[in-house]
Amino acid sequence: MFEIGRLCVKLAGRDAGKKCVVVEVLEGNYVLIDGETRRRKCNLAHLEPLKEVIKIKAKASHEEITKTLEPLGFKVLNTKPKKASEKPKKKSRVKKQKPVKTGKKVTPKLDVAEKSKAEKPVKSEKPKETKKTTKE
Amino acid sequence: MVSGKHKSRTYKRVKIRTPGGTVKIHFRKRAPAKAKCGVCKQELHGVPRKRPFQMRALPKTKKRPERPYGGVLCSKCMRQQIINKLE
Repeated sequence: MFEIGRLCVKLAGRDAGKKCVVVEVLEGNYVLIDGETRRRKCNLAHLEPLKEVIKIKAKASHEEITKTLEPLGFKVLNTKPKKASEKPKKKSRVKKQKPVKTGKKVTPKLDVAEKSKAEKPVKSEKPKETKKTTKE
Repeated sequence: MVSGKHKSRTYKRVKIRTPGGTVKIHFRKRAPAKAKCGVCKQELHGVPRKRPFQMRALPKTKKRPERPYGGVLCSKCMRQQIINKLE
């Protein structure tokens, strides 16, 4: 029943209701399918066979299946190939060099008399503005 | 005086231990009914039984099974419907 090239409908999972072709008969109750579904191993209990059988090679590649199925009106699912991402390299921790502590700037102590002078700025008397009244 | 809505059993009573150590009763709204299959009325798997505000916080993939008619029909009825369509 489930020979190579048999058109089926997937009944279970997220690909349920989509049509596929048996590409390879695997051990036990399993077959390899491809077509509108993802190319994957599938249990026979999850497939509903149809009457049609398509001529394809055993273990046909995904490209070969797209060439045979697309003229028949099937939309073959093309998954994007996964990009092999490089493992992030562990960065060796480099200890940040602390800035060298420099001694506090020592301000020379002023004498009491000088200090009082420095604190109290000399009052600069502002010239008083006199109101000029001009009589016209 | 306890208000009327707290005297009836419309709210679920949850015992909560306060930081002070005493046990108090909190009133919470009850969980909605379990999701059921549209054809055979069987309880559906993979559909959480939570209040709308909690459902809103969930991602779409956690609200229902990710297959055709997921969260509406059970898997058996879904398969039967696909086969019926073919005929």
